[in-house]
Amino acid sequence: MDAQEFDVIIIGGGITGAGTQRDCAMRGLRTLLIERSDIATGATGRNHGLLHSGARYAVNDPESAEECIKENRILRRIAAHCIDETDGLFITLPEDDLGYQQTFVDACRKAGIDAEIIDPELACRLDPSVNPQLTGAVKVPDGSVDPFRLCAANMLDAKLHGGQVRLHTEVTGFLREGDTLQGVRTRNRQTGETADYYAPVIVNACGIWGQPVARMAGVDIGMYPAKGALLVFAHRVNSLVINRCRKPSNADILVPGDTVCIIGTTSTRIPFEECDNVAVTPDEVNLLITEGAKLAPALSSTRILRAYAGVRPLVSVDNDPTGRNISRGIVCLDHETRDGLKGFITITGGKLMTYRLMAEIATDAVCRKLGVEKACETAFRPLPGSEERSYEAVAQKIWESPSTAQKAAAARMGTSAARISKNDRFDKALICECEEVSVGEINDAIDRLEVSTLTDLRRRTRIGMGTCQGEFCACRAAGLLAKAHGCVEKERSDLADFLQERWKGNFPIGWGDTLREAEYTQWVYKHVLGL
Amino acid sequence: MRFDTVIIGGGLAGLVSSISLQQAGQRTAIISTGQNALHFFSGSFESMEEAPRRTVELFAEAGIRLHYSPGVRLTPLGTFRDAALSLEDISLFPTPQFGRKILLVSFMGYLDFFTSFLAEGLEKQGMSCRIRSLDLPEMEQLEQSPSEMRSVQIARTMDRIWEKVVQEIRVLLRDEDTVVLPQVFGLQDTSVPGRIRQGIPARVVFAGTMPPSVPGIRTQMLLKRRYEVLGGTYLMGDEATGADVRDGRVRSIATKNLDTHGLEAGHFILASGSYFSKGLRSNPFRINEPVFGLDVDYAEDRNRWYHPDFSGEQPYMGYGVRTDAVLHGIRDGQPIRNLYAIGSILGRTRPELGSAAGLAIRSAFVAVDEILKSDPE
Amino acid sequence: MKLQEYTESKYNFEECMKCTVCTAYCPVLQVNPLYPGPKQAGPDGERLRLKDPYFFNYALKYCMNCKRCEVVCPSGVKVADLIQAARIKYDRSKPKLRDRILASTDFMGSLARPFAPVVNGVTGLGITKTALDTLLKIERQRTFPRYSARSFEAWLRRREKEQAAFPEQVSYFHGCYVNYNEPKLGKDLVKVLNALGVGVRLLEKEKCCGIALITNGMSEDATRHARHNVSVLRKAVSEGRKVVTTSSSCTLTLRDEYPNLLGVDNADVRDALLMATRYIFERIEAGAQLRFRTDYHRKVAYHVPCHMERLGWGIFSEKLLRMIPGLEFTLLDSACCGMAGTYGFKKENYAASQAVGAPLFEQIRAVSPDIVACDCETCKWQIEMSTGYTVQNPVSILADALDE
Repeated sequence: MDAQEFDVIIIGGGITGAGTQRDCAMRGLRTLLIERSDIATGATGRNHGLLHSGARYAVNDPESAEECIKENRILRRIAAHCIDETDGLFITLPEDDLGYQQTFVDACRKAGIDAEIIDPELACRLDPSVNPQLTGAVKVPDGSVDPFRLCAANMLDAKLHGGQVRLHTEVTGFLREGDTLQGVRTRNRQTGETADYYAPVIVNACGIWGQPVARMAGVDIGMYPAKGALLVFAHRVNSLVINRCRKPSNADILVPGDTVCIIGTTSTRIPFEECDNVAVTPDEVNLLITEGAKLAPALSSTRILRAYAGVRPLVSVDNDPTGRNISRGIVCLDHETRDGLKGFITITGGKLMTYRLMAEIATDAVCRKLGVEKACETAFRPLPGSEERSYEAVAQKIWESPSTAQKAAAARMGTSAARISKNDRFDKALICECEEVSVGEINDAIDRLEVSTLTDLRRRTRIGMGTCQGEFCACRAAGLLAKAHGCVEKERSDLADFLQERWKGNFPIGWGDTLREAEYTQWVYKHVLGL
Repeated sequence: MRFDTVIIGGGLAGLVSSISLQQAGQRTAIISTGQNALHFFSGSFESMEEAPRRTVELFAEAGIRLHYSPGVRLTPLGTFRDAALSLEDISLFPTPQFGRKILLVSFMGYLDFFTSFLAEGLEKQGMSCRIRSLDLPEMEQLEQSPSEMRSVQIARTMDRIWEKVVQEIRVLLRDEDTVVLPQVFGLQDTSVPGRIRQGIPARVVFAGTMPPSVPGIRTQMLLKRRYEVLGGTYLMGDEATGADVRDGRVRSIATKNLDTHGLEAGHFILASGSYFSKGLRSNPFRINEPVFGLDVDYAEDRNRWYHPDFSGEQPYMGYGVRTDAVLHGIRDGQPIRNLYAIGSILGRTRPELGSAAGLAIRSAFVAVDEILKSDPE
Repeated sequence: MKLQEYTESKYNFEECMKCTVCTAYCPVLQVNPLYPGPKQAGPDGERLRLKDPYFFNYALKYCMNCKRCEVVCPSGVKVADLIQAARIKYDRSKPKLRDRILASTDFMGSLARPFAPVVNGVTGLGITKTALDTLLKIERQRTFPRYSARSFEAWLRRREKEQAAFPEQVSYFHGCYVNYNEPKLGKDLVKVLNALGVGVRLLEKEKCCGIALITNGMSEDATRHARHNVSVLRKAVSEGRKVVTTSSSCTLTLRDEYPNLLGVDNADVRDALLMATRYIFERIEAGAQLRFRTDYHRKVAYHVPCHMERLGWGIFSEKLLRMIPGLEFTLLDSACCGMAGTYGFKKENYAASQAVGAPLFEQIRAVSPDIVACDCETCKWQIEMSTGYTVQNPVSILADALDE
C-alpha cells in the first residue's frame, strides 16, 4: 500500500512541479507529485523549447535576462542530454532599425550574456537558412531544450530520491483544518479511484491552472491566460536559433529542436474557459508562416508537420484586477503571509528556462516551513542521463559501432541509453522508424517513466513526433502497451485518442504532403486496420 | 509513341481498365508514378454491389481467385467489417463468430501482427483464443535488422519455409477448430496459402497485418503480369507532366522520362488516385488536378475541408474531379470527349466503408465500355 | 509566390509518406541485414543527418544505387540520390586501393589494352585470381572482362571520313567498356546508324562517365570527369548533333547523376543525350526504315537493367527488338541482376550479389532463350557468369538482324 502521508505534496506535473519535487526530494523530503493528466502537458510542452541565452529579455527585462543566462549555463551542465548547444542569431532585416543592435548588445553584455556582432555574411555561412537580406547579425549562446525529456528526467530523479508520482490524477478538493491545509482529495481520471493524501505543505505548481486550484483552496491569484501558437516544420531548416533583433514581437523565434524546427509564437489573451482546449486559428497559421519566412525564407516552402498552442500564465502583480500590471518574472506566493492560509505555496510565472531556479525558490520556502536546513544541490547535480556531456561520447562508450538508431537513443536518453543496450534479442527492433525508437527504449519508458497512454509514451520517447505522425508506430507501440498493462480494450480506445490528438495538430495545416499523409492514415486505420 | 488508349495510373482502376482494353484488342500503355494503393489493399472489396462476375473473371485470368460471399472480414485490430468480394485467402464470414476455439499464431519479434487485439476481438465474440509465437532459426537474418521484421520480408522467407510452419502448427494444435495466421504467405508463390490450408487440420484464417499488404502486392504483381502478357506496356516510375488538349480532345501527354514526345492515343484514362498518389494536389488555397487541370469539386473555405474529429467523415476525402455521367473529365465546364476519370480521383469514397476498391473497378468498367463503344479514330 | 503554395525539399525527401514500398522492392535488403534499407538510409536518415552529421551511418555503402526504390516510390522521392548524396557529403573514410582500382575503369583500360592478350591471360589465371582475392578482396569467382587489343576509338578514328560522308551525324559516347573491352558493340552501333543514313562521330576525347568513382567514394574525381564530359558534350550539341550511348548506366550518370549528385549543370545538353535505342526508335517513328534479314530466328529474353528502368526507356529497346521478324520476344520480370557495377566484384558483396540476382537467373533458365538482351555491360558479366547464357546489347542484336 502506498504511503498516504508526505512532507510535501506538489500539484502540477509541468517542469516547475517536477523540478520542485526533485529539489524537495534531494533535500530529503518525502514528496508526492500529483498531475491531472501527464507530465509536460501544459505550457511546459507547448513552447519553442528554446534554451534562452536571455538576450531576448536583455533590453526590456534585464532581471529575467540575468536569470536566463545563469540558468542557461547551469542547464548545459545538469541537463546535457536534454539540450542542444546550437547557439543563436539575432538578425536585423531591412525593415528593422539597425540602430537597435547596439542597444541590444549593450544590454546583453550588461546582463552577462556573451553577445557578439558578426558580419551578415558570416551569419549566412553559419546558417545558410538565414534570410540573406539581413543587414546585421548578433551571435548569442541560445540553444534548444527538449522540455519533455527535461521534465521526465526531473520526475525520474525525484523518484530515485524516494518521491512518489500520481499522474492522471486530479485534485478534487483540499483537506483543511481551520486556516491550515492538511492534504488533498484526489481522483484518478482513468480508474475513477479516489484517495486522500496528507502533508504539512502543499505546493501549487499548476501554471495557468494554478488559479482554479488556488481558488479551490479559497485564495485568489490574479492570472491571465495568454495563448501562444506555434508551427512545427518537418525537418531542421536552420541549425542555429534565429531571432529578430528588435523589440520582441510575434513569430520572431525559429528554434531547431531535435529533428524538427519550430516557429513561434503569437500572443493572444484568451478567456479562462479556453485554457483546456486551445486551437490554432487560420489567421495564426498565416501569421506564423509569413513572419517565419522572414527569418528563414525556406519556411515558405517547407512541409509543416503540425500546429499547436500553449497558454502562458501571466500573473498580475499585487492582485491588480485589471491585469495591466503583469509580471513575467518568477512569482512565489506564501499564502500564509499573503492570505492567512497555512501550508500552501504557489509557484508560478517564470519560464521553462528558469524552472530550476523556481524550484529552488519554492523548495526553500517549503524547507523554511518545515524547518529543514539543507542546501539546494540542483545547480550542480546532473539529471539522470546527463552524466556525460555529448551523446557522441555516450554512444561510443556503449556500442562499438553504433547504428543510427543507437545513436538516436543515446541522443534522447543520454547515459541512460546503457540500460537498453543488452536486453532481449528483439529489443533493437524499431517501433518508430521516423525518429528511430526501438522496442527497448519503449519498454524502458514504460518501466521507469510512468507511462499509461500512447500520448504519454510520445512525450517520453518521441514516437509519433516524426514525419508520419504516428501512423505506423502507434499500432506497434499500442501492442506493447497492451501487453504491459494487460488491457486490450482500453488500448484500442487509447489508440483512437492518440490519432485524434495527432489529427488535432495536423488539420490546421492540412494541405500538401501533410494532407496526403492524413488521407493515408485515414485509409490505413479506418479501412485496412478496422479501428 | 502512339497507343489506342493511354492510362495514367497503374493501380487497381488503371490495371482493370487496361487489361480489359488489351483483351478487347486495343494497344495500351500505363504510365505510373511508382507503385500504388494496392500495396495497402485489405484483400476485400467492401462495397461491390455490381459486376462481381466480370471482376471475378478478369481476376481469374490473371491467376487471382476471388470469392463472392457477402459477410464480414476480420480486421487486424480484431474488429469486423462488412465485405462482399475478396481474395481467396482472405476469409469472409457470414457472421463474426467463425469458430469456437482459435489458435493465433505469430512469429517471435514480429510487431506488425496484433495478436492481443485480435484475441480480444475474437473473445468478445465468444471464441476462446490461445496465442503462440513461432521462433524459427530461418528468421534470424530478418531479426538482425532493426526494421526488417516486417510483412514483406517475412513473406519472402515464408515462400521458402512455409512447410516447416505447417509442421510447427500441427504440433501446436490441440483442440482448436480454427488457426489464425498473419497474411505473410504467398508473396511470389501464389499456391502457398491454399497448400497451408490443406496441410493444417483446422480452418485456417489469414488475418491482415500492418501495411504493406502481402496479398495486395501479390495482386498488383499478378495483374501487372497479366497485362504485360496481353502485350500491354507498363511504364513504371514515369509521370505525366502535362497534356496537349485541343478542341475538346486530348492529343497527347508529356511525361517526365519521355519528354514532350510523350504518348499519343485515341483515348486517355485518368486513374491517378487521390491525394496520396498525387492525382489531386492541395495547397492552402486550392485543390487541383495537375495533369489536365480538370475541374475539382471542393469547398472554397479551407476550414470546411476537415472534420476536427479524426473519426468523423472528412470532407476533403469526398472531393474529386468533375465528370459527366459516363466519366468524361470536365475542364472549364466542358467535357473532354476522349478522357475518362476513374477510381479514387473521383472522390466520393469513404474509408470506413472501404469503398475505394469497388469504385475503382466499377468506374474502370464504365470507361472501358464507353471507349469500346466509341468510334475508333 | 504565395506562402506554402508548393513545398520542396532536397531530393523530395519530405514527400515520403513512410509507406515502405521502397523497402519491399529493395534488392539489397532482401539479402543483407546490415543494410538499413532505402527508407531508413534515405528520407528517415536525412532528418537525423540534418540534425547532426554524426547520425550518418556507414552501412549506406551497401546501397547498390540500382535506383529501384526511386522507380517504385509512389511519392517521387529520389531515395537513391539521397543515399548517394549523403555518402558524398558525410562519408569520411578513404576509398581502399581495391576500390580505386575497380573504379578507374578508363585508366585500367588504357593501361591494360596494349597488353590485352597478356592481361586477359593473366586475369584468367587461377593464381592471379587468388592473388586478387586475398590481396585486394576482389572475388575470385568473378570472370574478368576481357580487354580488347585495339580500342574502339582508334577503329572509328580511321573511319572519320567515311562517317562524315553521311548526310546526318550523331556523336557517340561509347564509354570505357566499348572502348577497351567490347569494340564490337560500337561497331554494331555504327552499322545500324549507317543503315539509317546517320554517320557516327567521336566526342572530342570523352572521359569515363565516373559512375564507379561515385559509388566508390571518389566523388571529387567523378566531378572532374563530369565537368570535362559536359564540356565535350556541349561542343557536340552546339554543333547540332545528338549524342547517343549504348550503356544505360553511363547515360543515367551523364544525364542525372551529374546535376543531381555532383552538382555539375548539364541542362543545355541533357535532352540531346539519348540511349541509342531511343534515338533509333525515334528515327524509325519519324519515317526512317531498317531492313531486317528474313532468316534471323532467335529467342530473345530482354532484361531491363536497373538504370534503364530508372531512365524509363526500356520500352524503346523492347519496341525495336519486337520489330525484328523471326525474333521471339520475352520480357523478363523487372528485377536486379545483383551486379551493380563494381559492387559485385567486391569479395564482401559477392554472396549478396549472387543472391539478389537469383530470381532473375531462375527466370532466364526457365525461358531458356538463345540470347539475353540487355543494355548494360555489368549486367552482362553477371548474367553470363551466373547462367552461362549469352548476353547481347539490343543494338548488337539489331545489327546481327540487319539485311545488308
